[in-house]
Amino acid sequence: MEIDKEKCVGCGNCHAVCTMGVIYLDEDGKSVVNQEECVECRTCYRVLRNEGYRPWFVRAVRKILGVFRLGYLAEPDVCPTGALTPPPLQWPRSIRATFSDPSTVHEGTGVHGRGTDEIKSNEVTGRLREGDVGFVVELGRPGIGARFRDIQKVSMALAQAQVQFEPENPVTQLMTDTKTGRIREDVLDEKVLSAIIELKTRMENIGQVLRVLEEVQHQVDTVISVGIASKCAADGSVVHESLVRQAGYKLSPNGKTNLGLGRPLFQER
Amino acid sequence: MTNTLHRQGDVESLKGDFVVFAHTAKSRNREGSGPKIREFMRICLRHNPVNIGDAKQGNVHQDDIDINKLISQQGDGAAAAAVFADMESLQKVIEDLIRADLGICINVSGLLEEVRACCVKAGIQRHSVEHSLGFWGAKDRLPERHILEIHTMCGHGMVSFNLIRKMIEQVKLRRLSAKKASKILAKCCECGAFNPKRAEQLLERFSKGIT
Repeated sequence: MEIDKEKCVGCGNCHAVCTMGVIYLDEDGKSVVNQEECVECRTCYRVLRNEGYRPWFVRAVRKILGVFRLGYLAEPDVCPTGALTPPPLQWPRSIRATFSDPSTVHEGTGVHGRGTDEIKSNEVTGRLREGDVGFVVELGRPGIGARFRDIQKVSMALAQAQVQFEPENPVTQLMTDTKTGRIREDVLDEKVLSAIIELKTRMENIGQVLRVLEEVQHQVDTVISVGIASKCAADGSVVHESLVRQAGYKLSPNGKTNLGLGRPLFQER
Repeated sequence: MTNTLHRQGDVESLKGDFVVFAHTAKSRNREGSGPKIREFMRICLRHNPVNIGDAKQGNVHQDDIDINKLISQQGDGAAAAAVFADMESLQKVIEDLIRADLGICINVSGLLEEVRACCVKAGIQRHSVEHSLGFWGAKDRLPERHILEIHTMCGHGMVSFNLIRKMIEQVKLRRLSAKKASKILAKCCECGAFNPKRAEQLLERFSKGIT
């Protein structure tokens, strides 16, 4: 994101809205974006309504109020002068928007933003079958962001654990080799709001995947949100629950449930 | 998209937070799904969701969003979501969706045992389940737990920690009501999975120092 300095009046509303907290007031009293840390999520541009005031008018009002020791207080969800300007993005920077802005559709997956199907369409795709377990390992979330160099550390560690990376996943599609989990060189320094490594393995391998995550989590400078999924047994029970608990981990009371209403149903042989 | 998987909070608070969303798969049930997704949205709308929207067009709490226009413009594969603040509404929505037999994939995020009970009551067994295993890695970089309770209601991470802090402060100073502040937070969440009703309750609590 860029801020038009001709228009900016330094109200600071975009500072709070910024998902990465990387907009600040420059020495000239106008806001500026730290381009190195911005993930191009465009939240500031979408959320802050352009009030359409002329910059000279807002500045004059502020000056007059200042004389009387009064502050200029814009509504928190506006940009008084429409100073936020999304620039055209070139590769590899454009990957920041692909992974950080949920209103963009990823070309490879057809899903909005960094998303993947996970279990959300499992009844029609058979992505996770009986005996399979899926992991979603999301780096950068909540609210910290991640560089692909860190994401690669985790994907390369997981590749050692007899896992199969999900082909229709945005991170897998950046891998040069799914056997090693290596990610293409030109994106490694790019920062995104978050990215999801998605994989499946067999139920008996749950402990091994968790052990790998346990070790690699200390090698990255970001947070990781981990999820685990599987197809339910005929009575609706969840097979992975007891295996995760046996491995010494706690499961959340809440989560995602696929109701199985999609058609045509995937038929397991 | 794991966007509704990691919602934080105690069980009592999560009892008022269920996200129902439609999904389709390429080459399976995505093609021609537009009318079915629109019907999904109309069914959800009948049961008074506290939020509703799709990732491409936004949600009802954003400026200039007309829900009927939003629904009419939904095409194949639109990522549609609606949030419900009580079990009774969720039960009715699930029953209506089963009756409608749309053939698109329907998922619910929320307390798993409560959702399972709704399924059983409606005469179906759940197909697949996903749990959160929590946050790993550099957890020392995370903010306080109560900030995360609000932040994780937008799984795409569009509601910044700083905005949440600012809204708590604005409610504390009575510059904004908790309702108005929660609406501002909901504007940030593009897909409509954010629960402004729960956010309002949390802001009321947090602004009084109860975390």
